[in-house]
Amino acid sequence: MAKTMMPPDIAKLSFEDALKELEDIVRRLETGNAKLDDALGAYERGALLKQHCESKLREAQARVDKIVIATDGKPTTEPLALD
Amino acid sequence: MTTLLFSHKACLAHDTGSHHPESPARLAAVLDGLSGAAFGKLDRRQAPEARLEDIARAHPRAFVDALLDAVPKQGYAALDADTILSPGSGEAALRAAGAVAAAVDAVMAGEGANAFCAVRPPGHHTEPAHAMGFCLFNNIAIGAQRARQAHGLERVAVVDFDVHHGNGTQAIFEADAHVFFASTHQSPLYPGTGARSERGVGNVVNAPLRPNAGSREFRQAFGEIVLPALEAFRPELILVSAGFDAHRADPLAQLNLDEGDFGWATERILEAASRHAKGRVVSSLEGGYDLNALAASAEAHVAALMAA
Repeated sequence: MAKTMMPPDIAKLSFEDALKELEDIVRRLETGNAKLDDALGAYERGALLKQHCESKLREAQARVDKIVIATDGKPTTEPLALD
Repeated sequence: MTTLLFSHKACLAHDTGSHHPESPARLAAVLDGLSGAAFGKLDRRQAPEARLEDIARAHPRAFVDALLDAVPKQGYAALDADTILSPGSGEAALRAAGAVAAAVDAVMAGEGANAFCAVRPPGHHTEPAHAMGFCLFNNIAIGAQRARQAHGLERVAVVDFDVHHGNGTQAIFEADAHVFFASTHQSPLYPGTGARSERGVGNVVNAPLRPNAGSREFRQAFGEIVLPALEAFRPELILVSAGFDAHRADPLAQLNLDEGDFGWATERILEAASRHAKGRVVSSLEGGYDLNALAASAEAHVAALMAA
């Protein structure tokens, strides 16, 4: 079942797909043509997408750290278990 | 008799990072909504920090210590993808739990008819030894245990209408027949628990709602499943996990409630409390992530408390 509070349709996006959707939202908001309710909804979705991207980056950072430590010690590359 | 409002500015200082849905702006919106003329008669109290022995009635001491130790002196620490700590998070967590404990004390002492705790972080997802879902300590569980053990109550009820199942509160009390737990929530939705079949030792009632359910389905589930069980339990105190994310405007879920539904549910809870619990209700903020909907819903909830 869902492992995160993030809505499932966002949680399943890759970093790249989430970033693309976030860029689309930013463009739409910048044109300033949306109705206020739509703009607020888009802004909220954008915030969640940004949160998801940051979460993905944190996971990637943790993986990179693990590899760096391993090469300083023994040459192992075990992935960091996050859940 | 008055309605007490517990809060503390430390709860605003729990920084979850830019654009995290569980943001300080949520609490600011609630407090702003409760600053209007209609709320002038609220008896406003500063939330104390929870005593460690009160927190330890809901969580093992080792978990409490580990969580407070995990609070970073700078930057952020992630307990999981959703649950973030930063330097102000320890005090915020202690004040949020302390608010509910103090509200229980005050209502039991007759200082107010009922109370609302405008606090963050929320609490209802935290299990005995596992913080999750934006939650650090299980504020409402700490309040329920305070009522049981410091005030000697035999029957304490928790009603949770946050859109997410209160898995933490259920886990803490599912084997304790002295505490009743009822939850309405969307299913499927995080955290995935809360099936109708989960009944604890006969003290747990779950009423899951399908995505896109609205007022009619909510009031039916609340009226036909939650309220009769609550009445049959004859609670001496009712605690409310008041999440407002079942609102149609909430970005994290897909139910379609409005402010009127939260007012209605609050009135029904107050009626049950007047029959069995001398009117005693202590409510604490859980979720709600659209700022306008959150403020309007909290206002409807507190207005109903004040009208009891």
